[in-house]
Amino acid sequence: MTKTIMIVDDSASTRQLVNIVLSGAGYEVIECSEGKDALNKLIGQKVHLIISDVNMPIMDGITFVKAVRKLPEHKFVPIVMLSMGLVRSSREQAREAGVKAWITKPFDKPQLLDAVSRFALP
Amino acid sequence: MSELDQALQTFFVESRELLEAMEESLLTLESEPDDKEAIGAIFRAAHTIKGSGGLFGLNGIVAFTHVVENVLDRVRSDEIPVNGDLIALLLSCRDHIGMLVEQVAADASAEPDNETLATGVMLLNQLKSYQTATKETAPAVSKTNVKAESQVMTTLPSGGKVESGHWHISLRFGRDVLRNGMDPLAFIRYLDNLGEIVHVAMLPDAMPFPPDMDPESCYLGFEIDFHGDNVDKATIEGVFEFVREDCSIRILPPHSRIEEYIQFINDLPENKIALGELLVNCGSLTRKELEEALHLQEKLRVESDQEASPMLGDILVKQGVVQPELIEAALGKQKVAKENKVQESKLIRIQAEKLDQLINLVGEMVIAGAATSLLAQRTRDPALTESTSTLSRLVEEIRDSALQLRMVQIGETFSRFNRVVRDVSKEIGKEIGLSIGGAETELDKSVVEKIGDPLMHLVRNSMDHGIEKADVRVKRGKPAKGTVHLNAYHESSSIVVEVGDDGGGLNRERILAKALEKGLITANQVLSDKEIYGLIFEAGFSTAEAVTNLSGRGVGMDVVRRNIEALRGTVEIDSREGVGTTVKIRLPLTLAIIDGFLLGVGSASYVVPLDMVMECIELTEAERQLTRENNYINLRGTVLPFIRLREQFREDGKISRRENIVVVHYAGQKAGLVVDELMGEFQTVIKPLGKLFENLKGVSGSTILGSGEVALILDVPALIQRAVNVESRAVL
Repeated sequence: MTKTIMIVDDSASTRQLVNIVLSGAGYEVIECSEGKDALNKLIGQKVHLIISDVNMPIMDGITFVKAVRKLPEHKFVPIVMLSMGLVRSSREQAREAGVKAWITKPFDKPQLLDAVSRFALP
Repeated sequence: MSELDQALQTFFVESRELLEAMEESLLTLESEPDDKEAIGAIFRAAHTIKGSGGLFGLNGIVAFTHVVENVLDRVRSDEIPVNGDLIALLLSCRDHIGMLVEQVAADASAEPDNETLATGVMLLNQLKSYQTATKETAPAVSKTNVKAESQVMTTLPSGGKVESGHWHISLRFGRDVLRNGMDPLAFIRYLDNLGEIVHVAMLPDAMPFPPDMDPESCYLGFEIDFHGDNVDKATIEGVFEFVREDCSIRILPPHSRIEEYIQFINDLPENKIALGELLVNCGSLTRKELEEALHLQEKLRVESDQEASPMLGDILVKQGVVQPELIEAALGKQKVAKENKVQESKLIRIQAEKLDQLINLVGEMVIAGAATSLLAQRTRDPALTESTSTLSRLVEEIRDSALQLRMVQIGETFSRFNRVVRDVSKEIGKEIGLSIGGAETELDKSVVEKIGDPLMHLVRNSMDHGIEKADVRVKRGKPAKGTVHLNAYHESSSIVVEVGDDGGGLNRERILAKALEKGLITANQVLSDKEIYGLIFEAGFSTAEAVTNLSGRGVGMDVVRRNIEALRGTVEIDSREGVGTTVKIRLPLTLAIIDGFLLGVGSASYVVPLDMVMECIELTEAERQLTRENNYINLRGTVLPFIRLREQFREDGKISRRENIVVVHYAGQKAGLVVDELMGEFQTVIKPLGKLFENLKGVSGSTILGSGEVALILDVPALIQRAVNVESRAVL
């Protein structure tokens, strides 16, 4: 079965790149521009993994992760953060909120595919 | 265009949008320094550009934006107060990021030029002053920084404008200097104590006519060359301390010192120095001069009522306080601005629509001109005929110049592939180089735009399927590094774009087998090599056994052919097994107006592009008898197949007594068209046929004659193909 990955990032080019890499590897990809948008698209949608940026307009990554964790049907969806990973404190914040892993930009293709294959729900 | 390239384009568009948002927010911040939302938006813009830039490996953009982002982060966390200076600096940084992005957008493989680097270094230095308050510095940047700095050093002009190793002092005494009890001579004498006055030139220009002269006023100016050991600018200025108020003084350092200053500016230990401070620190500018300049800057800003204040450096140069070289070294920006201005005057950006409108009008004018000529000819008035022929010559020239406006060199399109080839070769693990030829060949802008995708596809195909793996290549005795060629040249009325590789070539047998399997051909069909290779352009044809993620993703060569045919072009492929493959794309030079040759068949008129016409011969009565059954004649010893247009287009009307053969050629093949009447040259404005006629064979468009009648433009390549095919079938 095709696995569905959601990418949340305010940068269209980043989304596009992630999409290219993941759809090339046979994943279904849902693109969202920020947290609110992603929450809307999560309604009634089964996803196997969420990849999210931290710094986004409207709803930032950490708030988004916390919100996802409150949704019963997405409580256990693995979430991977995709960011510069500058600040230690926000990493801890993210881990507490339930983030599985952290991919640092700029990432390369194998890194991304590795993280996705490792964390995506079976 | 590839997906990656599309993503990169998205990045450019996105960056431009973000930079615009950043500018807007910065301006908001200027009026409302506490606007948290604006600060957040500015930070996010820099953050996103840096992040996405990193994904595309645009390290120059990342390195610079990283520093900006750090400063913005500190602004966000209230560590740095927002003030006018900071906003001005951030605006310059925004412009610089924009410039970096545009440079990559224009040419992905190009390194930023020295001026840009110098601007970057200057801005980084200024930014550092906002960073160095904490001990943490950006390690990622320091490397680039050093590199850029060393670059700046090498680009500096080797010397100043001052010929000698002397200070140059320019004195203009105020009118009242004598009245105030000051003697100019005394100052110059005092200067003599500090060193040696090498030369004094007196400037009496301001001296009025004797009757108007006030003996108590001082009208004189002096230019002094001064040599002094261990003298700095402040000391010299000190000499004139008492006349500062009513006298203007410019002090230029000696030639030998300029280089020192430049060196000094680059080596300055502290970073939190604005340009003015910098110059004060290195001694080429005194604090007083700086203050004056700053004052003037403020004044000019108020006067000009513009957002941007004039550059301090400009003012300093204008005032003659500092030599341009110094400012350049410190700022490295003025020159860029100047060059940009020069460029602007050479190039005018025009909306493509306006140009299209012009070409349309020229087209209409050509038609109207033809009608006028026709009428003039009917009147048989020699004077009128002559004047219309002059007019039509001019119209022809206007037509050519108008079409020329749309012509662009293909080089720009080609050079984009440098990056593509580099990246793709890395991705697929083959060593492949790109060679470009005929980059200066010009073709219509609309064609250039549309040819990018097919070219991309062909280049990728060549790299992916054409060029063998390095070990295979070495085994075959070829250099391990493969080459993809892009070439363009003009040939008769068309432009040929070639995509070639020195790879394995096409496998004739495999194509045949595949075509049989797919039912594209039948087993007993006899095909030339060209036709066999052409099969790969058929829909649903793909011989690649392994589908890689680059090509073979369902978008086949048939799409390439369709794209090219939409441009009224043709594709052919030439290949030798083990040697390489070359795909030739043949495109019409222009899509709007051509020189045509008007032919009459029955009551209808047809046009063929004049460049395709080789010669016209009469079909003699004897030959007519001979060729009743077969469709070829003996043209000076060679077989010339022909098509009777009367039959081809089912024209009625009685067969005229005389028939002519128009010999046309295309892509190395010749054929004859049998027509009734030759009506000569005709400027043809190409009008596309409607959708309804899309599948019509042998006709490529229509045009309107001077009489208002419609004539069809013949699709010569298709007709030649038909003539040749019919003939070879008949022989078999």
